[in-house]
Amino acid sequence: MSAEPVLTRRVFFREAICLAVRETLDAEPNAIVMGQDVGAFGGSYKEFYGLFERFGPARVRDTPVAEAAMVGLGVGAAAAGLRTLVSITYMDFVLLALDPLVNYAAKARFKTGGQIRVPMVVKLTAGAKGQGVAHSQSLESWLMSVPGLRVVAPSNVADAYGLMRSALQADGPVVYVDHKRLFPTSGPLNASGHEVPFGLAAVSRPGRHATIVTHSYMVCVALAACDQLAVSGIDCEVIDLRSLAPLDLATVCTSVSKTGALLTLEEGQVVCGIGAEIAYQVQARLGPVRVSRLGAVPAPVSSNPVLEAASLPDAARVADAVRRLLTEG
Amino acid sequence: MLYRLLLPGPIVDLSEVRVLEWHGAPGTQFNPGDLVVELDTHKAVVEMRASSKTVLRKILIEAGEWQRVGEPLAIVSDSADEPLPERAEDLPQSSATYEMV
Repeated sequence: MSAEPVLTRRVFFREAICLAVRETLDAEPNAIVMGQDVGAFGGSYKEFYGLFERFGPARVRDTPVAEAAMVGLGVGAAAAGLRTLVSITYMDFVLLALDPLVNYAAKARFKTGGQIRVPMVVKLTAGAKGQGVAHSQSLESWLMSVPGLRVVAPSNVADAYGLMRSALQADGPVVYVDHKRLFPTSGPLNASGHEVPFGLAAVSRPGRHATIVTHSYMVCVALAACDQLAVSGIDCEVIDLRSLAPLDLATVCTSVSKTGALLTLEEGQVVCGIGAEIAYQVQARLGPVRVSRLGAVPAPVSSNPVLEAASLPDAARVADAVRRLLTEG
Repeated sequence: MLYRLLLPGPIVDLSEVRVLEWHGAPGTQFNPGDLVVELDTHKAVVEMRASSKTVLRKILIEAGEWQRVGEPLAIVSDSADEPLPERAEDLPQSSATYEMV
């Protein structure tokens, strides 16, 4: 396995993350990585491959299976002057660490009048891929509403790198959400040092008839739906949010002003979801528009692959939702 | 006899991999079990080992380059003196063993 992904312009998703982390650890002697299997094993998805050998066990630290302690240590170490990256493989288990994340990391700057900053990144892997009820959830909307937390979620290799670079430059806590189904992907990575600023969405596909606003792996699903819709002459624009907190509503509103129709798409639940927030915010700015939201059905994600697929948006369901939006909306 | 050494598959979730390292140059003879080439995937290194005595004749995908699963990585032959054909497309497939490490 290559420890020098920088040598090639096309890299796997895991290598983009690894490169951003490695460059930060090279540049900042105070930066450390903590998590289960981040050390000699190289990360659950090999996204930390080679870091243990390069930086040693003091800076690339395996932890026990104790998420509250992991994030608690991450907060404390960051407050004391380190830059910490805490990796929790399955996003579901961040629930064990919500107290240090929400009550300490996100609030330290406010509680201390800005005297204490917590430069910590908590990296979580969301999404369903055959692992059942408690290893498959997409809970990022829960974290968007915490003042003081920034939440980012890349959908491709370049953003995986650029958002991790930005997250590791931030002076406050950042939740970095990747996705199980993105790890098999590969793509171009152009410039070393490239950062993706927070709060800046991207137009993944330009279109005229409807706007699909989404993030993470669902961008891939939306683009596949666009290919289906294009056959019948429906031309959709896809907005990749990239950053969920802060949200880039300007880019979303520019698109919806043009198309006049908005479909929000997320893998998580729609109740109090990202789509609910965007639908409200867009209409507060633009007035009434045709809007619909699509997400998981209100059921746990099954470990039965047939039921798992039935519970989540796929390209066909997204295409159907766009057609309904345009005909009934 | 000449063969195409194909990138084995299917590999779950994966359509393309990157060649990490060839363990020989054209002309190198491999015995059964010898490591021929290592491949980088999204999650592991895949080793391809010779399943019979075979000679690496021409590398089609160099280290650092990508190839689709099921497509050829190299041309190999049973002996070193068989002339290479103009077209590789018609050659039969070589059987190689491979394992995730």
